Amino acid sequence: MSTNKQGIKKLYALSSENKRFCFPQPLKHSIRIGKRDYEVKLKADDKYGTYILWKNRKYPVEVVRSRQNKYEILFNDISYTFTVETPFSMQRMKVLSAARGKIDKETLKAPMPGKIIDVLVREGSSVLRGEPLVILEAMKMQNEIQSPVNGQIVRVLAKPDSNVMKDDILVEIKVE
Amino acid sequence: MKIRRILIANRGEIAVRIIKTAHKMNIETVAVKTAAEPNAMFLSQADMVYDNTEDISEIPVFLNIDKLIEIALKTKSDAVHPGYGFLAENAYFAQKCIDNKIAFIGPSPDAIYKMGNKTIARKIALAAGIPMAMGSEGNISNEEEAVSIAEKIGYPVIIKAASGGGGRGMRIVRKPEEMEKMFIIASKEAEKAFNDPSVFIEKYIENPKHIEFQILGDTKGNIIHLGERECSIQRKHQKLLEEAPSGALNDKLRKTMGNIAVQIAGAVKYYSAGTVEFLLDSEKNFYFMEMNTRIQVEHPVTEIITGIDLIEQQIRIAMGETIRYRQEDIKLKGWAIECRINAEDVQAGFAPDPGKIEKISLPSDHYVRIDTGVQAGSVIVPSYDSMIAKLIVKGKDRRDALKNCKMALDKVWIKGTKTTLPFFRMLIRNPKFIEGDFTTAFIEKDLEKYYQSSEYEEMLAAWLATKLFVEENLLDKSINIDFENGKEMSPWLLNKRINQF
Repeated sequence: MSTNKQGIKKLYALSSENKRFCFPQPLKHSIRIGKRDYEVKLKADDKYGTYILWKNRKYPVEVVRSRQNKYEILFNDISYTFTVETPFSMQRMKVLSAARGKIDKETLKAPMPGKIIDVLVREGSSVLRGEPLVILEAMKMQNEIQSPVNGQIVRVLAKPDSNVMKDDILVEIKVE
Repeated sequence: MKIRRILIANRGEIAVRIIKTAHKMNIETVAVKTAAEPNAMFLSQADMVYDNTEDISEIPVFLNIDKLIEIALKTKSDAVHPGYGFLAENAYFAQKCIDNKIAFIGPSPDAIYKMGNKTIARKIALAAGIPMAMGSEGNISNEEEAVSIAEKIGYPVIIKAASGGGGRGMRIVRKPEEMEKMFIIASKEAEKAFNDPSVFIEKYIENPKHIEFQILGDTKGNIIHLGERECSIQRKHQKLLEEAPSGALNDKLRKTMGNIAVQIAGAVKYYSAGTVEFLLDSEKNFYFMEMNTRIQVEHPVTEIITGIDLIEQQIRIAMGETIRYRQEDIKLKGWAIECRINAEDVQAGFAPDPGKIEKISLPSDHYVRIDTGVQAGSVIVPSYDSMIAKLIVKGKDRRDALKNCKMALDKVWIKGTKTTLPFFRMLIRNPKFIEGDFTTAFIEKDLEKYYQSSEYEEMLAAWLATKLFVEENLLDKSINIDFENGKEMSPWLLNKRINQF
């Protein structure tokens, strides 16, 4: 039934932690564990909404976000982000990332919507991993947003008393 | 004095919980409908609903003392139950109720005031010879004073808000250099949260267990305790899982700590239900921390192992009844565990994830009790707490309770917001947790990952992502209908939450 237009033999789903899952094409509705194939069904009903049925168990699933070949899937209350690549795009990606080298800039994003109470660093400040950089108030709690790396602050976008949305960039750090 | 009608000055699951007991006692209930949650579940269960949706004031009605008194009088309620949070520990509100001849279902305004102010509570406990962590005698006014006290009692120290609670206005200081910054943060946070910037300092007890005792007292001066709760599983001082009893206590220690808890409550002539919180260090030394003068979120675990309905006791005590139980009548039977299922994103550091609960299905096995104020279609609003439901599981011992908890957690089905479920699914499989080897630092220090995910689950998610990609990019859509399995559907048609950019 599924006519694969480009004649692609397999697809890769790459997780955000760079785990690679390979699925031969056309995509089967089963997953092989050891020597056995287990049927996977994507279903929906009024009581449970969308779910995946696998080995007699229902798992809640949702597509949270999708953008080009990038998908955020909520599976059993845990979100996973994958980019789906063809063998060709996989090869191209490898070449590109080798050319780009190591990422040396870290952006610190707001983990939740809230209000900036205080910004504890300025451009040029040296920071250590775990050092509080910004105080963000959300749901009446003040949260210290800490530096994920050792480095130097290159840009401060957070302003005291301003409101931020989830994933707004607060600070950019040059990794040292 | 008889209570015939109770105004519930609260919302959510605790409103539902209070209504349940009130109905059992043939007492009517009045709930308050707000514009923030006009379709909340508790409203449909109360006998009367006071419509306050026109109130556009910025202060929620549950914090508006004059308005609540007005509602109580208008609805001819002869009592007010404050629940937890909001005005539950506001001495002025309790006094206002009494002044208007409305019974306040809770302790005396005097006891609330004394225990609510941590520096006064410290003084009372010191005078009664209660074991406590060393600290400042009263409030401290600046960081220089803080540094000098910290030098005397030794680092690390903890700065706490005098009017605090719930972890707000608390900061741990390990080095004198950090003091200035932490003092300012704690003080600012205290002012914002409690309208009182005063803070004090205590020796910080490293890696303790949080053990609290449930107290019941009546207006005749009888006070008993109903055993302890273990609440060490917390993050940023917010409890996530509680159990009763605690595996860290034997009968002897339980008796010693219980007696001291009763003694503390006696020092303020405590009546109604209350909780005395202790820190227990690795050498089993315990230190009085604070007393909460309200019903606690985690009260169900105590109800399960004692068989006593704490809300009923609160109401009876408010009616002037004498407690029917003597200390020797209280027998702890079995084990209970409560998981707080909150609308939080465990993968984003437990950030609140408010939203609409699209689907919810909760287990109803004999070993499960669910306390919730939420049903399918309910909205978890950002202006209130993120609680969806409390999953309370019992067993004949801890091992049995854990086994039941594991089964129950897999039966909980919630769609619409992210929840703390993956955290609990991980926690009850953690060997140290299973062994009882955990302290309040457990989540921050001993866990590498905050959620449970098997390799197969990730593979299935990857399969779904690939399926979406195939349907979007590779397939001729006109023939993508599987007539054989009519129920199977493309997720593209089903997902309302999808945001395509």
